[in-house]
Amino acid sequence: MNVEQTTLPKKYHQAVLHWQRHHFPDYGLLPEYWQKYFPNDPEFCLCAKMEVGMGDTIEVGDQKGKARMTKPSQMTEEQGRHLLGIIRAQASTEFGSIQQHEATLARAQDDEDRFWVLRVMAEELRHGYQMFHLLTSQDWGGVTEQKAEDMVEEILSMRTGSHVLDAFNVDYDSFVDNVVFAAVIDRVGKYQLAMQRVCSYKPFAQSMPPMLREEAFHLAAGVVPLRRWVQRAAQGYELVTMNAIQRSFNKWAPRGLEMFGHEKGGDSNIRFGFKNLKNAEAQEQYYEELQKVIADLNTRYLRARLPRLAPEEAEALVARLLRDRSSHDGVSWEDLLALPDRRFFRRKGEPAWTMIGTHGESFDDVDIYVRHLARSLPDPYLHSRDMRQYVETLRDVVAGRTTPEQAMKKTPNLKRVGGVCPCSKSVRWVVEEPEPASTPAA
Amino acid sequence: MQIRPLSELDLGRITAIDERLTGKYKPEVWERRVIYYIRRDAEACPVAEIEGKVVGFILTDLRGGEFGLEETSGWIERLGVDPDYQGRSIGRRLFEAAQGHLRGRGATVLRTLVGPEDDELAGFLRAVGFQGTSLQALEMTVS
Repeated sequence: MNVEQTTLPKKYHQAVLHWQRHHFPDYGLLPEYWQKYFPNDPEFCLCAKMEVGMGDTIEVGDQKGKARMTKPSQMTEEQGRHLLGIIRAQASTEFGSIQQHEATLARAQDDEDRFWVLRVMAEELRHGYQMFHLLTSQDWGGVTEQKAEDMVEEILSMRTGSHVLDAFNVDYDSFVDNVVFAAVIDRVGKYQLAMQRVCSYKPFAQSMPPMLREEAFHLAAGVVPLRRWVQRAAQGYELVTMNAIQRSFNKWAPRGLEMFGHEKGGDSNIRFGFKNLKNAEAQEQYYEELQKVIADLNTRYLRARLPRLAPEEAEALVARLLRDRSSHDGVSWEDLLALPDRRFFRRKGEPAWTMIGTHGESFDDVDIYVRHLARSLPDPYLHSRDMRQYVETLRDVVAGRTTPEQAMKKTPNLKRVGGVCPCSKSVRWVVEEPEPASTPAA
Repeated sequence: MQIRPLSELDLGRITAIDERLTGKYKPEVWERRVIYYIRRDAEACPVAEIEGKVVGFILTDLRGGEFGLEETSGWIERLGVDPDYQGRSIGRRLFEAAQGHLRGRGATVLRTLVGPEDDELAGFLRAVGFQGTSLQALEMTVS
């Protein structure tokens, strides 16, 4: 594990910090409390980290066995455009998740949970910074007319509602969302980063291992608080319930599944050597992993309800209760968590705009389906703009006023805010920068 | 058998293995420990998986400058193998994976402490190459 750290040229570095002041004001708390919550850990560094010692040979795709590319100009135009799209989408998700987390961060009941999420946010900021390094340190002129400054400006101008992927256009309703998002949506991030480790464009591949190491903590920062909450729920703590957690899973799991892209897609990524799994393969593994998370939480819950059970007995009882939809010793299958059907509440991909319930049941009537959604999703989310637009579009699809394909293209459909900074200082590019310094990590 | 880095999905099985070894169910303790080691370096903490089931784990950490020991040291802090799977060299495989990673990160020496009653663990550690040291473990009760 050998990593080189790189700082962006000053104007870009300052642009990120400027963005942080508006969208991530709690960032300053992190160094202040670092030793309390993360003793002995190396201090946080806002920098790009490149893994040293990765292979020089392309591992998958049409160019398998050839030398990895180190400049955009070595790619075909189609390849370059495709990879640029991936990098921009990745950058958008990193900054987007910070905007989502910040809105409900202060509602954490426990300071430890809050500081874990705060660290997750800081590391997402670093990941966005990493993508900017890829965009600004090389000449992408062969595949886009947009200058590096404009690409950075465009990404920093995105808000919840105008990001590239739907999952980052949905507001959080409470701190439950901060934690479930880390367990569900960051898990997609783990898959994407792991797949991209093989990338035929070496600087992108080199970016992945350091991000993956940090992502491992993000997933734990979701799962560990959830395990503690289900225990409290089992003990009758009213403020976090299994129902609230279930509804949040129902809200995020469909968006997570859609982040892999259409189930029939992904061929180009393999062909170009950018990823090593097709969309459906990765999505399948992801869904199985989410089932493990749910099973683990249910076992934790059941052992808190029925402490005399041995671990294997608890696991078996969870499986039996859910399979038979039965009860045992005062615990009902309805008390447990269940991962929603993979077709539930989908607006992208193969099952988009079908009316499938959380347990896989089909609906024919929009109003009945909407009532099912109302019983399955967090209450505040039902009153969101995202939900209203989903229901309006669903009615159009069911009535034949629009096709599922047209509806898929329609989302996200909130308007882009545009590149004006909230403090009205729209000119961010203030200093001519020196070449980025590249130093080995300590 | 698959050896891979520790992840948050292993919490349930690690807690269960420890429960089988010690007779105590301590989920909170393991939640705190596992997130600490994931944060530090999940690759330094390999787990062993057989047919999708975690059957063993080792938790290690790379540190330097402690107790006046300036060299970068790999600390072996916990090792656990499911009793149903013992005798299959799982502990040795876990140790070798951790050792390789720690060496790659600059460790020049590995260290650990073993309780006087834990002859089995002490025997295992000697078998993989640990030796007694002139360092003394001292403690005092303060409450």
